[in-house]
Amino acid sequence: MGKAFRLSSEFIAGVIAGAGLGWGFDALLGTRPWGMIVLMMLGFGAGIWNVMRASGFVRPPNG
Amino acid sequence: MAEKIDPIHQFQLVKIGQPLFHIGGTEVVLTQSSLYMIGAVALITIVMLMGTAGRSLVPGRLQSLVEVMYEFVASTVRSSAGHDGMKFFPLVFSLFMFVLVLNLAGMMPYGFTVTSHIIITAALAVLVILTVIIYGFMKHGLRFLGLFAPSGMHPVMLVILVPIEVISFISRPISLSVRLFANMLAGHIALKIFAGFVVTLLGAGLWGIISPLPLALAVALTALEFLVAVLQAYVFATLTSIYLHDALHPGH
Repeated sequence: MGKAFRLSSEFIAGVIAGAGLGWGFDALLGTRPWGMIVLMMLGFGAGIWNVMRASGFVRPPNG
Repeated sequence: MAEKIDPIHQFQLVKIGQPLFHIGGTEVVLTQSSLYMIGAVALITIVMLMGTAGRSLVPGRLQSLVEVMYEFVASTVRSSAGHDGMKFFPLVFSLFMFVLVLNLAGMMPYGFTVTSHIIITAALAVLVILTVIIYGFMKHGLRFLGLFAPSGMHPVMLVILVPIEVISFISRPISLSVRLFANMLAGHIALKIFAGFVVTLLGAGLWGIISPLPLALAVALTALEFLVAVLQAYVFATLTSIYLHDALHPGH
């Protein structure tokens, strides 16, 4: 269960970080809704990247 | 059923005494949460001081406890952050002991779980990530940014990969804090709900016959919660070491 919690939180954190960054960009630059759309997509990517890294599918960046 | 069973009630902060002082318009009050943290730090300090006071070759009980703790965290740091990561050992050890003692204190009957508040875990995670960023830039300067650009990649791939790596880095403190907080919160709520079932069933006449079922589950969950309490402290320490490894060796 610890492992499952770890993987899900890695993914969710990626999406949250992407969405938060997108929201921040939009609020700063007034580009709503494009920043959120693009950065949330990237957030999904980062979340999957996190999960793959955490589960050992890809080599961790530090070997 | 006059008393309603409220599984969230246990997380409420209780003010103790008068406000200590004011910052701006906000009053600073001692809560049971801050009292638990002070108690945890005091307990750790006392155990560590007493455990290291004797320094006998054949350790007594307290000394072997302290030695086991030291060896455990030291091997975690060595395997995750490398040998030069040992300069961060005090940080990782303090974090581990703090989280461990607070998690276990929450398992005491009538205890309060400080780590079930996201503001506490977020503060700890921000501390870790600020250490990584500040130390990374201090040691490597701008080369620390190489963390975001894996070497040996096609330049076109970098356009996509760099934003993903940046978001991945930003998500680290979030996942670090949310994991600890969610584990403790969910576990304690589940425990309270199953314990509540027992009481509700006992008060429901004939249904009281099946009340041992949730009781057995509550007992099993208690054991699981002890495992989670220790495991999450260990996970927190391991991930801290992994992130510190990035600060020490940002190159891929």
